[in-house]
Amino acid sequence: MSDAAPAVVGRTAGSTTAHATTRAVTRHEAAPYASPYLAGVGIGLVLLLSFVLMGRGLGASGAFSSVVTAAVNGAAPTHAANNGFYARYLGDGAGSPLQDWLVFEIIGVVIGGLLSAALAGRIRWTTERGPAITNNHRLVNAFIGGAVMGIGARLARGCTSGLGLTGGATLSVGSWLFVIAAFAGAYAAAPFLRKAWR
Amino acid sequence: MAPFYEFGRFGDSASLVVAVLLGIAFGWFLERGGMGNARKLAGQFYFTDLSVLKLMFSAILTAMLGLFWLSWAGLLDLSRVYVPETFVAPQLVGGLIFGVGFATGGLCPGTSCVAAATGRRDGIALVLGMLAGVFVFGEAFPFIETFAESTARGAWTLPDAFGLSHGTVIGMIVAAALGAFAGAEWLERRAERPAAPPEPAR
Amino acid sequence: MTTDNRRAPGIERALLVAAIVGGALAVIAGAPARATRGSVDVRRLALIVEQEEDHVTAVELANWIRDDHKGLRVLDIRPDSEFKEFHVPGAKNVQLPEIARMPLDSTATYVLYSEGGTHAAQAWFLLQARGIENVYFLRGGLYEWLEQVMNPHIDPKASQAERDSVRALARWFGGKVQIGTPTPAPSVLDGVLTPRAPNATRESIRRIRRRAC
Repeated sequence: MSDAAPAVVGRTAGSTTAHATTRAVTRHEAAPYASPYLAGVGIGLVLLLSFVLMGRGLGASGAFSSVVTAAVNGAAPTHAANNGFYARYLGDGAGSPLQDWLVFEIIGVVIGGLLSAALAGRIRWTTERGPAITNNHRLVNAFIGGAVMGIGARLARGCTSGLGLTGGATLSVGSWLFVIAAFAGAYAAAPFLRKAWR
Repeated sequence: MAPFYEFGRFGDSASLVVAVLLGIAFGWFLERGGMGNARKLAGQFYFTDLSVLKLMFSAILTAMLGLFWLSWAGLLDLSRVYVPETFVAPQLVGGLIFGVGFATGGLCPGTSCVAAATGRRDGIALVLGMLAGVFVFGEAFPFIETFAESTARGAWTLPDAFGLSHGTVIGMIVAAALGAFAGAEWLERRAERPAAPPEPAR
Repeated sequence: MTTDNRRAPGIERALLVAAIVGGALAVIAGAPARATRGSVDVRRLALIVEQEEDHVTAVELANWIRDDHKGLRVLDIRPDSEFKEFHVPGAKNVQLPEIARMPLDSTATYVLYSEGGTHAAQAWFLLQARGIENVYFLRGGLYEWLEQVMNPHIDPKASQAERDSVRALARWFGGKVQIGTPTPAPSVLDGVLTPRAPNATRESIRRIRRRAC
C-alpha cells in the first residue's frame, strides 16, 4: 500500500463515487487521519501510563452512569438511594457522583478530541452518515444506537474502552468475552443497517 | 514502584488531575485515528475500513506487553493493577446488545464524546441516547438484578482460565493480533479494487 | 483510497518487530516476574535441623541482645502493624518477599522471629538458600519471647542463681516476673511491659538501634 497521503485529502471514507451534493461529507481541507496503528500505540501508551500512575485503566461508560446517577439523585434522592444500580455510584453519599475519576477522564477526552480536531482542521458542525439516508434518520439511529449501547454497557459493566482496552490488556476473561460478543453482535446487525451506512 | 497511586505517592485530588490529563491524551489519539467519525468506524462492519480493529488491537498489545515487561523488570506491582471483574453471562449478553448498538450508532461511548466535541450532531445524539439507555437500565435494574450479578468470577484472567503461563497467553494474543492485522490489510485492499462501472443515470 | 488514514511504513514496521520480539520473549519468560533462584545442600540442612542448630531459644536471644552480641541482626517478619504494637528491642521489620530480595551480610548473625515461629522457620530456609549460614530462628516465636523473657514464671524448685538470672533478664527488658502459678502466654498488650523500663534497657535499646540492625 503506497503512502499516498496527498491523494487522500478530499476523499471520504468508503465512498469513491461522487456524492458532492450531500452536506454530510467531510470537507476537502481536513488533514488525513493518522495511521491507526500509531494512534493505537499512542492510546496503548496512555493506557499503560494510567496503569503505572493509578493502577487502573481507562474507561468511558462508567462516566455516563455517574452523570445519570447524579441527575436521578438530584430529582429523587430516596429513589436513587434505594436502587441497587444508582447506589453503587452514590457511594457513601459524601461527595457528588460527579466527583468520579471517569467523569474527569471523559472531560479530558472531550478536550483532547477537540484539540486534535482543531489542529487538523477537522472541526465541522455536521452529521456523519451514509449517503443513502437523511440527517434526521441518522440522528434517530444514533440516539437509538446510543440507548442500546447504554443498556449493553451497563449490563456488561463496561464498554470498548473499559473492558476492551483495559480488560484486554489485563487479560480479563470477561472483557475478552465482551469484545468477542460485541463484534459478533455488530457484524450480525450490520447487514440490516447497510442502507444507513453504504 | 508503580502503580504510584496505590503506593500512596499522590492523593485523590491529584488523581482527578491525572484523570483529566490522561483523558486529554486518550481523546487526542482517538481523534487522530479517525475514531470520532461514525461513518469511518462503521466501515469496520462492512470490511472497507478496519481502523477500529487496528487501533484497538494495537492499543491492547502495547499496554499488555508494557504491563508484562514492567512487572518482569520489578518496576510495577502487577498484583495492585485493577483487573476488570468477570461476569460471564451479563458480559456475553451485554456484549451482544452493545454490539448491535455499536453498529447502529457507529460510535462507542468514548468516541461519541470525541465526535460530539468536534461538532458532529450524530455524536451528540448518541451521547444523549447513551444517557437515556443508562437511565432505562437503572430503572429496570431491580428486575434484572439477579441476572446482572450472576456468574461472577472475580478478577479471572486468561492464564488462569487456560492453565497457561502469562507469557504464553501474551504470545498467543500477539500472534492473533498480527494475523488480524494481515487480514485487515488484505480486506481493505480488496475493498479498494475498482467496483463495477457505475450504472448510467436513469 | 478506502481508508483515509496516513500510513507510516517505517515506524509501523519497527512496531511490528517490537511486538513480535516482545511477544516471543514473553512466551519464553513465562511469568511477569524475575525468578530469584537459590540453592541448598539438602543433606547439610537436614543435619542442622536434626541437631537443632537452626534455632535459638528466647532466653539465648535475650542474652545475645543484652551482651551486645557482635553482628546480631534480629528480623521481625510480621506485618507492619503488629511490629508497631510491640517488637523485640533492636529488631527490624522485614516482610517475606523482601527476605527474598534484600541485601545480606554473610558475616552477620541473623535471628528471625514471627508470631508463632512457622514463618520464621520458612524465612530461615530462604536465607539458607541465599547462602547465609549464620541464621537462626526463634522456634516458639514471639510467644516464647513473652513467656520466657518478658513475663517468665519463676520455678520455685529452681536454684537461687537461676531464679535471679530469670528475674534480672526480665527486668532488663522491661518485663515483669510472674508470681504464683503460671498463667498462659500473655498477649502482647497484656501490660507485660512496666511503665518505665530501667535505664540500662533504654540505653541498650538505643545502642542496638543505632547499629541499624
